[in-house]
Amino acid sequence: MLTYLPKRIGQGLLTVFLTVSVVFLLIRMAPGDPAASFAGPLATSEQLAAVREQFGLDKPLFEQYIIFIGQLFTGHLGQSYSFQAPAVQVVMDRLPYTLTLATSSILLAAVVAIPLGMWMARRSDTDAELGVNVLTIAGQSMPDFWTGIMLLTGFSVIIPLFPASGFTTWGGLVLPTITVAILQVALISRMVKREMVNNFNAPYLNIARSRGVSERVLTWRYALGNAGIPVFTALGTRFAAMLNGVVVVEVVFGWPGVGSLIVRALETRDYPLIQATVLITALLAVAVQLLIDLAYPLLDPRVRLGKAASA
Amino acid sequence: MSTTVNNPTHAAEPVRRSAVTKAQIKGSSAARRARSTRIKLWLGTILTLIVVVPIAMANLLPIADPNMQDLGARRLAPLVDGHLFGTDQLGRDLLARVLFGGQTSLMIGVLAVVVSGAVGVILGSIAGFYGKWADVIISRVLEAQLSLPLLMMLLLVVALFGPSIPVITGVIAIAQWPEVARLTRSLVLVEREKPYVDAAKTLGLPKVQILAQHVIPNIFKQASLVILLLLAQAVLLESALSFLGAGPQRPFSTWGRLISDGQDYITTSWWMVTLPGLFIVVLVVGVNLLGDALRDGNLRRSSKKEGK
Repeated sequence: MLTYLPKRIGQGLLTVFLTVSVVFLLIRMAPGDPAASFAGPLATSEQLAAVREQFGLDKPLFEQYIIFIGQLFTGHLGQSYSFQAPAVQVVMDRLPYTLTLATSSILLAAVVAIPLGMWMARRSDTDAELGVNVLTIAGQSMPDFWTGIMLLTGFSVIIPLFPASGFTTWGGLVLPTITVAILQVALISRMVKREMVNNFNAPYLNIARSRGVSERVLTWRYALGNAGIPVFTALGTRFAAMLNGVVVVEVVFGWPGVGSLIVRALETRDYPLIQATVLITALLAVAVQLLIDLAYPLLDPRVRLGKAASA
Repeated sequence: MSTTVNNPTHAAEPVRRSAVTKAQIKGSSAARRARSTRIKLWLGTILTLIVVVPIAMANLLPIADPNMQDLGARRLAPLVDGHLFGTDQLGRDLLARVLFGGQTSLMIGVLAVVVSGAVGVILGSIAGFYGKWADVIISRVLEAQLSLPLLMMLLLVVALFGPSIPVITGVIAIAQWPEVARLTRSLVLVEREKPYVDAAKTLGLPKVQILAQHVIPNIFKQASLVILLLLAQAVLLESALSFLGAGPQRPFSTWGRLISDGQDYITTSWWMVTLPGLFIVVLVVGVNLLGDALRDGNLRRSSKKEGK
């Protein structure tokens, strides 16, 4: 444990550092001039040069990178070009919205998918289960932006139940949450089913049954208890991925989160903003992943950190 | 599972009439599982063909030119004036646009799967077969890529190299190769311990030849089972990129772009978003069902083999 934690934190930080370095290089290789998009189409070349100097883009690439690394340590990644505010601050302002959406989606997904998966495991290979199975495959096959627009049309245009865009009332959370959760339910419920069936077929369950353990305890405590560990990990990993992966849904619903921010930052070539977004989301994703791994031995006493977990 | 397991082959013995009835055989869990696999296989095939056949024959079918504008016939509802799917905001026939757009989307999907499959199998088998530093490097790259924000990176790369078809294909292939590589690596790790590999080594065959001629053909069938699932994913990824404006540019009307164009008219013209989306859903559900069924069937066959 004493060597495990520093090692994992070090690995995580290295991943984050490599990620932001790759992004730093990529955006500077990309065509498109942030000075031009900032100064507008009518700017003279002197004005462009002035803007470049102001942004520090006239310096050699290597020098810019050294400055960037220095900024990483101070936590101040420069001014966002389009927001005229510290880039980190802009991202932090948007982060709660993405966190809200990700949290509510993963909760909804867990609440629906776990009972659904248990039901599928119990009714394995019946006609009803086959029907639900096909439905989950359908849920996994729908493009999320399409599902989002369909829900929007249905429940805010035709039947005006929820606001169409933005996050002004809690009602605005409902449709984006459902859109994100559909895919997660499809994936997680099938995973729960698979794990439960494996446990139902395991010898330990038969022994427990022969010793008179009731079916209810067998299902909930034994099978679900063991199936719960990989499912928990999967939920955590999906949550971590959502912290930067709900781009499409945020764009559809005009959700003021990090995802729609990055699309805008990419369009306007807002270098500091892109870097700040990538840095913060990557840090968060790594941190969440670390927390999941640390929680592992609490759920499963067979796991020793640094041995089984790292293998 | 402690209840009686009815094995169909035993029941079919002609010598002695079995006490097991046909109904019992049909009701056994193995038979029921085989049945659901069969249903999935058929349903998947039908759904896939419903979408793929018209797309493949789009040039032969008597449909309108997808780029012919008729400003007098803007946003006609489906079935009006011979437009089966209606028309879009410039009076173009939506069915034609969906079918011809589908050619682009499908082509990108298939190409991406071929590229990612080839890269994944080669790198995965190198990592699994040679081990040591090759394994370390490839596995590290895999891990690093899996922890990156995928869609964000794809958008970045498309912004970098421009949204041409080769770039988008390449980007989707980059996104997908880790899955193939991981699977191939784990299959090769099992395969290389088998006696025939030792035999080939004793015969003095070079390692490259053992890998390419003996090991890869033996794992190829199992590795190829993910192809259909990857194709489904590739179609979805391409549509998401197109929707965000990072897909193939005009004149290619890919499905994601059709939906993003139609989004502005959802209050008045539902078909412009709904119908192209349904095309994607039917295709991807079909391909996923097929892939699922094939994997189920393969798992059962291999577990049977090992049981004997």
